[in-house]
Amino acid sequence: MTLQSIVQILASGLLMGLIYALIAVGLSLIFGLMDVVNFAHGEFLMLAMYASFGLVALTALDPIVLMPVIAAVLFTVGALAYVGVVRLAMRARANLGMVQIFATFGLAIVIRGVSQLLFTPDYRNVPNVWLGGRTIPVGGIYLPVPQLAGGLVSILAFLGLWLLITRTDFGKALEATREDAGAVALVGIDKNRVFTIGWGLGAALVGIAGAILSIFYYIHPDVGLPFALIAYVTVALGGFGSVFGALAAGLLVGLVEAMTATILPPSLKSIGIYGLYLLVVFVRPRGLFGSL
Amino acid sequence: MLLEVRDVTTAYQGLVAISNISLDVAEGEIVAVAGANGAGKSTLLKTIAGSERARSGTVRFDGSQIEGEPGHRITAAGIAYVPENRRLFPRLAVRDNLRLGSYLFRGKADREEPLERVFGLFPRLKERLPQRAETLSGGEQQMLAIARALMTRPRLLMLDEPSQGIAPKLVDEIFDAVVSIRQSGTTVLIVEQRLSECLAISDRGYVLQTGRIVIQGSAQEILDHTDVRKAYLGV
Repeated sequence: MTLQSIVQILASGLLMGLIYALIAVGLSLIFGLMDVVNFAHGEFLMLAMYASFGLVALTALDPIVLMPVIAAVLFTVGALAYVGVVRLAMRARANLGMVQIFATFGLAIVIRGVSQLLFTPDYRNVPNVWLGGRTIPVGGIYLPVPQLAGGLVSILAFLGLWLLITRTDFGKALEATREDAGAVALVGIDKNRVFTIGWGLGAALVGIAGAILSIFYYIHPDVGLPFALIAYVTVALGGFGSVFGALAAGLLVGLVEAMTATILPPSLKSIGIYGLYLLVVFVRPRGLFGSL
Repeated sequence: MLLEVRDVTTAYQGLVAISNISLDVAEGEIVAVAGANGAGKSTLLKTIAGSERARSGTVRFDGSQIEGEPGHRITAAGIAYVPENRRLFPRLAVRDNLRLGSYLFRGKADREEPLERVFGLFPRLKERLPQRAETLSGGEQQMLAIARALMTRPRLLMLDEPSQGIAPKLVDEIFDAVVSIRQSGTTVLIVEQRLSECLAISDRGYVLQTGRIVIQGSAQEILDHTDVRKAYLGV
């Protein structure tokens, strides 16, 4: 194997890893905020991809341009999922953990079922995108433009999230609610508002990822499942609730997947990821950056 | 009256914790609520603060009815509550805990002014600003909890057993701080087990026994009351 092809594999692995990180971070954010695993996370991604598909058909603009709109649509989806489902599930008097799991799992099934009904199970793709199918040569290797743009967007999204958490009042409210949701009322913070915005934010982040993914990936009602699975692995790897653990773990997952794909047949490319996951679960169950 | 509690009954899972409590706090007073463990003192404060819901009765603050309102609205209305276990944000810095106290205010002056006030009361907090709240001693944590409450610029400060789990030297410091807090215009409602120390700084007091008010009056009257020890020990 030449040096060039090794660099090529590493580069495409890292780019895909940035997208995996962006998919996973919303999941981690929501978990960190309220200890709820959103089992409908993959369905949020799927909705984002259909939102992209529909908006492109409607406006004839590019998914890259429509990204803020798609993020806003998903913010609404996330906020509604909290207000309409999760908030009610959290009132359960017994077996709270189980009730939450089944509530978001049920939400996932409903979203998938309704999508099958409305969008049909046909595979679709967003036509005529600016960035679709292009590559650019960088120092002797070729990088796919959609993934490159996706990687850049992911870095910007993480930067934005970091600024939000560290520099704003809402970021402090988010951190305080993570620490002790029952105590924020003492300083006048409405925890339900923080939870609603937190769910919106988590969904908006996966919305951005969905917009990117719609450029180079086919769209169908089950498209979220494999990505959600990778997102759960990423979040467990990075440490549940750790936002920047999700970034590091996403990159690692992308790299491992790219390397596995060169060694093993492409259909077995996910084995590396799950092998890594098993290793972490055995050796360091709280994840790389987890504090559980 | 700044605070008027009328015939309030609160129950946990069917068990009545306080029943038909009526209590007043006038602007500028320090009012003490004493009683043995389990007498319902904490439940009373929780009910006023909105973290427990009254089954019946009314709570008025500055003339408006507040019972049934969520806790964050009650904080915004001007009641700051320091619960028994303080409920600081343990892994956040002292600075951030304080900063969160002024979350409701947007103006710079509204945030800086109470900060100067709490540094005046508890100078040692100023040295601890970058430290995580969980690294403070029990006494310092209590100071931080009171300071965070003052950052909300309350008209009424409610303290639940501020002396609990604190070195004796710091207890005096905290009681001294309560006196200065009142001097600077904030009314105080304080729940304590340390009867004499607490009444020494209070204007009036109430003694609770198994969820009911059994004695009330000026601080001196309560100290002189022969039944106090009995009520206090819960026999």
